[in-house]
Amino acid sequence: VRVPVIAAAGVSPGGRGARGVAAIAPSTATPLASTHPGVPARAITDELLGDTVPVRARKTMARGALLAATAMADLVRALGPGRAAGAGCFLGVGASAGAMPDLHAMLGAAIVDGAWSIARFGGPGLAACNPLLAFQLMNNFTMCHAAIQEGVSGPSGAYFSRGAGTVAALRAAVDSVGDGDCAIAIAGGADSALHPVTWAEMVRDGRGECVPGEGAGLIAIGDGNAIAVITVIATAPAIDRALIDRAVADRSEIVIAAPAAVRALVAERGVAIHDAGAAIGEALAATPALAWLTGLERIAAGAARVAILTVDGDGALGVVALEAP
Amino acid sequence: VTARRVVVRGVGAWSPLATTWPATAEALAAGASAVAPVTAWDASEFPCRVAAACTVDSGEGEDRRRPLARAAAREAWQAAGVSRGRIGVFIGAESGRASFRTVLELGRAAGAGGRFDAAAFAVRARAFAARIDASVISPAAIAADLAREVNATGPVLTVSLACASGAAAIDVALAGGVGADAEPLMLAGFGLLGALSARGESCPFDQRRDGFVVGEGAAMLVLTAADVAGAPPSCEIAGVGRSLDGYRLTAPEPDGDGAARAIATAMADAREEVVEHVQAHGTSTPLNDPAEIVALRRALGAAFECAQVSSVKGAVGHWVAGAGAIGALCAIDAIVHQRVLPTAGLRAPDAPCAARHVMGRAVACDVRAALVNAFAFGGANASLVLRRWEGA
Repeated sequence: VRVPVIAAAGVSPGGRGARGVAAIAPSTATPLASTHPGVPARAITDELLGDTVPVRARKTMARGALLAATAMADLVRALGPGRAAGAGCFLGVGASAGAMPDLHAMLGAAIVDGAWSIARFGGPGLAACNPLLAFQLMNNFTMCHAAIQEGVSGPSGAYFSRGAGTVAALRAAVDSVGDGDCAIAIAGGADSALHPVTWAEMVRDGRGECVPGEGAGLIAIGDGNAIAVITVIATAPAIDRALIDRAVADRSEIVIAAPAAVRALVAERGVAIHDAGAAIGEALAATPALAWLTGLERIAAGAARVAILTVDGDGALGVVALEAP
Repeated sequence: VTARRVVVRGVGAWSPLATTWPATAEALAAGASAVAPVTAWDASEFPCRVAAACTVDSGEGEDRRRPLARAAAREAWQAAGVSRGRIGVFIGAESGRASFRTVLELGRAAGAGGRFDAAAFAVRARAFAARIDASVISPAAIAADLAREVNATGPVLTVSLACASGAAAIDVALAGGVGADAEPLMLAGFGLLGALSARGESCPFDQRRDGFVVGEGAAMLVLTAADVAGAPPSCEIAGVGRSLDGYRLTAPEPDGDGAARAIATAMADAREEVVEHVQAHGTSTPLNDPAEIVALRRALGAAFECAQVSSVKGAVGHWVAGAGAIGALCAIDAIVHQRVLPTAGLRAPDAPCAARHVMGRAVACDVRAALVNAFAFGGANASLVLRRWEGA
């Protein structure tokens, strides 16, 4: 199914919008002393986020939700007045994680005479915690916060994602438009790999060489003036050479966020490659969506047919195609 | 293109009332409730000291969701009698949680007591993380586990829509939801929200309701296209509707607009104007219950007065990611056994929640079509219409 892309928005360490992803420079990877001592990371600055999301709302949001809400505000503005209200919303979301200081405060308040008391955890522990912590804990809140901020109220789906789930979210959005459930659907992903626990898990999984990143990428598809036409070619639970060959065939350019082995497979075909993954780092659920934005930039620059290949940390493959309208 | 009709071939559940769906259904029909004081840990200072917990020894690490989901899935597959061809798995699940032993280690990694020491955590957490079973933490672990169980070669997706997850996940193949939230962190989290019953009662739509009670369990369905061989269909998935409130994170729209749109979409999708049973989301919270009734009246109009209404949460608490799926099983029971299971705990319906409530025990009812609601924190709504299978 081929569906028009009518708007796009994103936030990444390189800035807001699709151009921001393209503008990420290697120099933006800087050690984050507070959470990742000595580890180069790509973080989005508070300055870049600005005051798009009101301070009061920000206090209720985990990082992924804040990034999603920021990108959603930009996307809704790009769509124009009244167009987002009935839109569907289908996002790949990561495992939401609460602020560590809050959890730590809860645990600390539950210690009596050096011993931890589970009963006190439920009393003084709760009292010691920012009550807004609970708003940060559910994965679907990444989507719901953004929808609430911008009044998006169509059919929805939040798909757990370390990458591939974001492509599944796009497919659901395409189906929703195709089935007539909504005239416009918003699809994408938002996530941050900068949470201390997330980073510890990545190290545990043998991915300590990754550059942890973060971001949010959203596209709007459906009725409107097309800036590109998008097709979800396929997803697969593992790297599939035949699928990659199919994706690459007949494309003028390839945007890729995948391990070196996959890049090598594509390089054999002699097609122009844009390594979005090297710029984005490991942004988990956000990575594919940010790569789509890179693809849109290539279309805007004159490319006729672009395929976007993403492979997540579990080895799952997603292939999306963009064409000039 | 004509969509293939989808039917339910088999169901399974592990609930706090029983370890199979038939036994659970009979207990529900008799008006039983699994809500009881928490005994698994000292909950004396928690804001809510009751839960509807499953007795399950995971025996394989810390994730209690997995044995619950696997048992329910096996029961459903056995009942479905389908050959194992190309199978997809669609599971509603939120994040797993590490045990308190792990949480404590996490705290110590950050310098235990006083200020969170991020630098200390970053150094020590690497050793700590190596001991965490990734499958305990990942929401995707359940779907992956069940995919291996049924040799799925089709799509394997985890839908994270909190309380609406299970219903939204029902699409094709093995679908359902699981929640195992009767544990300290979630009681603390929901306590922070002020969403739990301080009175310790789960009594949806009742005048006494003051919050929900955490429950847990797994409910699974095997869905196939109608032309696929298998056990006789128990009903068909006739309609699906989804919407977002876009209103507030923990409160429904008072006029029920978002929920009404999900219900109306599901009814239109099913081409039905009347359902004999509504399996309500019915959380037992002061705001949600009347908002759901308002939404039902708006969406169903006069037909709402004909529908028998109940909520399984009175008996088994709120399963969060599994809530929609267990609600679907109750609606299927209504169609198969021609009875509507009661809302345990409901004795005196609140005026704003007025409806044809089923109280006490199950009542006989000729149910041809039933509506299932699942309305999540965050305002993500999902409704299903299930209909008696009368052949192609």
